[in-house]
Amino acid sequence: MSAPANNEKTKVAVSSKVTTEAPNYAVRVKKYSLFNIWVISLTLKVLLVIGYHSTDFDVHRNWLAITNKLPVSEWYLEKTSQWTLDYPPFFAYFEWILSQFIPKFVRDDGCLDVVEVGNYGMPTVYFQRLTVIVSEIVLFLSLQWYMDSSKTHDSSRRSFVAAASLSLSPGILIIDHIHFQYNGLLYGFLVLAIVSAKLEKYLMCGFWFALLLCFKHIYLYLAPAVFIYLLRAYCLNLEFNSKKSALNNILGLVKWGNLLTLGSVVIAVFVVAFGPFVYYNEIPDVLSRLFPFSRGLTHAYWAPNVWAIYSFFDRLLIQVYNRIPLSQFPLQKIFQFDPKLLKDSKLVNSSTRGIVGDIEFLILPTITPKLTFLLTLFYQIMALIPLFLQPNFRRFVGALTLCGYSSFLFGWHVHEKAILIVIFPMTFLVSQDKRLLGPFNLLVTCGYVSLFPLIFTCNEWLVKVVFTLLWYIIFHFNFRKVVRLPKKLEGQSGIIVDRVINLYILGLIPMMTITTLMDIFEHKFEILKKLEFLKLMIYSVYCGIGIISSWNGFSWLYFLDEAIWDIEA
Amino acid sequence: MAKTKKKAKGSGSQSSTHHHHQDSSTSHSIFKNSPVHDLLHNFEKAPDQWAARYVLVMTAILLRAAIGLGGYSGKATPPMFGDFEAQRHWMELTIHLPISQWYWFDLQYWGLDYPPLTAYHSYIIGKIGSFINPDWFSLNASRGIEGSDIKFFMRFMSLVSELVLYIPAVLTLANLMGKKFNLSRMDQIIISLLTINQAHLVLIDHGHFQFNSVMLGFFIYAMIELINSSYVIASVWFIGCINFKQMGLYYSTFIFVFILSQLKSFGQLVGVGVTVILSQAVVLSPFISDPKQALQILYRVFPFNRGLFEDKVANFWCTTNVLVKYREIVAPQTLSKMALITTVLSILPMNILLFIKLRKTKNVIPGLIYGFAGNSLAFYLFSFQVHEKSILIPLVPSTLLLLVDPSLIDIVQWINNVGTFSLYPLLKKDDLVLQYFVSNFLINWLIGRKLLMKSRSMVWDLIIKGSYLSLVVYHIIDYTSDPPARYPDLWVILNISISFAAFALFWLWLNFRIYKLKV
Repeated sequence: MSAPANNEKTKVAVSSKVTTEAPNYAVRVKKYSLFNIWVISLTLKVLLVIGYHSTDFDVHRNWLAITNKLPVSEWYLEKTSQWTLDYPPFFAYFEWILSQFIPKFVRDDGCLDVVEVGNYGMPTVYFQRLTVIVSEIVLFLSLQWYMDSSKTHDSSRRSFVAAASLSLSPGILIIDHIHFQYNGLLYGFLVLAIVSAKLEKYLMCGFWFALLLCFKHIYLYLAPAVFIYLLRAYCLNLEFNSKKSALNNILGLVKWGNLLTLGSVVIAVFVVAFGPFVYYNEIPDVLSRLFPFSRGLTHAYWAPNVWAIYSFFDRLLIQVYNRIPLSQFPLQKIFQFDPKLLKDSKLVNSSTRGIVGDIEFLILPTITPKLTFLLTLFYQIMALIPLFLQPNFRRFVGALTLCGYSSFLFGWHVHEKAILIVIFPMTFLVSQDKRLLGPFNLLVTCGYVSLFPLIFTCNEWLVKVVFTLLWYIIFHFNFRKVVRLPKKLEGQSGIIVDRVINLYILGLIPMMTITTLMDIFEHKFEILKKLEFLKLMIYSVYCGIGIISSWNGFSWLYFLDEAIWDIEA
Repeated sequence: MAKTKKKAKGSGSQSSTHHHHQDSSTSHSIFKNSPVHDLLHNFEKAPDQWAARYVLVMTAILLRAAIGLGGYSGKATPPMFGDFEAQRHWMELTIHLPISQWYWFDLQYWGLDYPPLTAYHSYIIGKIGSFINPDWFSLNASRGIEGSDIKFFMRFMSLVSELVLYIPAVLTLANLMGKKFNLSRMDQIIISLLTINQAHLVLIDHGHFQFNSVMLGFFIYAMIELINSSYVIASVWFIGCINFKQMGLYYSTFIFVFILSQLKSFGQLVGVGVTVILSQAVVLSPFISDPKQALQILYRVFPFNRGLFEDKVANFWCTTNVLVKYREIVAPQTLSKMALITTVLSILPMNILLFIKLRKTKNVIPGLIYGFAGNSLAFYLFSFQVHEKSILIPLVPSTLLLLVDPSLIDIVQWINNVGTFSLYPLLKKDDLVLQYFVSNFLINWLIGRKLLMKSRSMVWDLIIKGSYLSLVVYHIIDYTSDPPARYPDLWVILNISISFAAFALFWLWLNFRIYKLKV
């Protein structure tokens, strides 16, 4: 257990009687396959078909109906239902393609009716669930490609563990197969872009990422990293050639041919996506659908990010202000808020005040969209500097991870589901160094547990909890087995940090037990009903602290540890 | 790089201390190329095997939770509903009524007709449930209550009961047998997984809704103690088994024969006898003061005034009833006597053989498992008042044959598949068709086509492939067309005929194997 060095390796070495320094295992790379994992997870997904699904189901049904029944020019104008089309055009085309396969008995079921609230039965459910399951094959194929791209036995094993952990991700299971969305397909495209980058197929990387952006624009948050990486690795040549003139050197800075091809590929993708809407002169309508700035800072249930902690402190200070008279004067002096607002019980008790009114915080200063945008951008730029200086694959994935982190932690109106945008890139890195395991474990546990409140039906409770726990046991264990050890051994502090992290992760269990018990005894004790919001707050604050800590840990390694990021070493 | 290499070597020499464990795990397993092996082989090494157990138990929970999303017996079918309501009703009546009324209360509805341990079990669950939400079990008012919360509570309790008894019992038995038969850890884990996740038990307990796993758990613990030669403890477990569900009696003749064959002295016999009587008395103690109560339990638990068989079941009587209408030509009393005589005749030869062989041999375990499988299947095929769900009882020891000889996997899984198939009409009624197909696919896929269809002999190829073909044909017919209006039960009869043929062949094979059993 102590040394997670590769056991396979020793076995092969021993069996072939190679006791000296001449191992021949690198020649034989074992082929790993995700097929069996796909089949076994498929059985679970099929069983979940008849289970709970959220309103997102009706959202996507409505999009099927809109794209099938209406001409392209009306797709982004139609508003019979409140679930208007607010994903970019490729997703709309995707829905249109799906709608071509709808059999008659599903049409008769009301699947394709453009109505205010969908009126559908089991045939529609079966059909739409099936589209999620089928489209998710993209994710499995892309991960299989990633595994096949490994060149040595060790890296093949590492990539197998990473790929398996992503293909079985509890996030995908909860969001796609219970809640209902198409993240399997979308993250499949992201993986394709990442694997292309690994294989230095820069054009393909650009293509897949542009395609992904035209499917769902939330990935814009990752765009800076992709942009800088492709620019630096593919389009710039920063080596100064002293034999040439200064002017030639300056012109030679840019690989014009590469820049032109890459640019045209990306632009071509965008033209295909947005072309029809340019033609109909509807770009402003499309954009206003894609970027609705009228929403509040936090979502109904706070995503576990910085703003959840901020809101939590606001609430804490309200209680302090109301209960401790002595605190009133200094609080008033420091934060200079309007004390009259605190008397308004409707405001104080609402969970997301953004929906009720314009004021989200009663004591702490208000957060503007501009501020969140600047904070996100600041941390993203910080992550991009090392990438620009050292444009290799690991730095790229690290920068993707940090871009994901900063958008999740500081973004405006972030959904808890967006945590996948951090988890996916980071998984490609984690087996490279043992020190990454700590931040990774914190991130995945807190990230996935924070998805639990999405699924509030009791029958799915066991599925989400047991699946996540099972996933964590399997992969905690397997990552530890395959991960690379750092060259210099850790000191005492590293071990203590690991212990603290494990304790924090274990703390999720009592946290969940308490919130579940609060749920169970809700109709027995009146007071628990009033504390409805407290439950969600516990989730987002506990998970939020975990995710912020994992960000700190990861940033530390990203900015201060050279060894992890140097591929040649 | 050099450093990591040294590390790898270091760990190699460290793990060599575990080598005696590893040797057995690397020995050849017949499951080597099956998907189940592929999925679990990461946990093959001795230090990792603890994780394999967690994975096994948690996947079992997951499968049950997911199956549980589906329908259950009697959902939304007033006024009687089904087994789900029966179980819930027992919880309701046991927590509200004094113990003396338990077996008398509203017999026309779902009067309690299981032995006392089920009643006590219902009482405990009812108490827990009432603590959470008293409405779920309020007397009379809660009849036919439906909703996702009560459904989940009941399902959760069924799951907990299984986790407490059945699953640990299977794991312990596999471990014990692994030592005796030199099974690798990997094979133990795989066989446990296949035993625990057989579609029929999962679908009946966590779909249709019952607590069969409790009875089966008691039974396996009894078997473990029999293997350990602790007959006194074994009889306590067995009393638990039959006092949870009377169907446990299918095992009773053989446990008697087995213990009798193993006893070394008269004193031992007295010891076992006294234990049986005492533990039965303890179970019945709340009722024992009044003979009327004990009689009522007996009368409720063994309803001899009911028919030869219930609904449609793939046993001898129901299948041949298509040709010979027993109930029209023979009086009910005679029928029960006929059933008794046939059952006794059917179990007599194998028990005589087993008794002789078991007295001689040192290795009693194969005989033990074959005996339980053969006896309980004979009861299913020939005894009186059999339910279709009773097929679970012979299927458990039949599956455990894998622990004696894993290469029987094709035959064992074949009979398990037919067993699940025989439950299909019931599951279809419960709206569990999707779950039926998925769980059947899962277990068979895990084993893999190569093992399921391996060739054994011409006859077996014909039997196994032939019955799989007829299963497929049956499902196609069932899916594409309705039975003719004149014979609404035609498809069900087709189902039980196929199943009966397979059960009968399997039973003959068991007899043959017992005959061939080496001393």
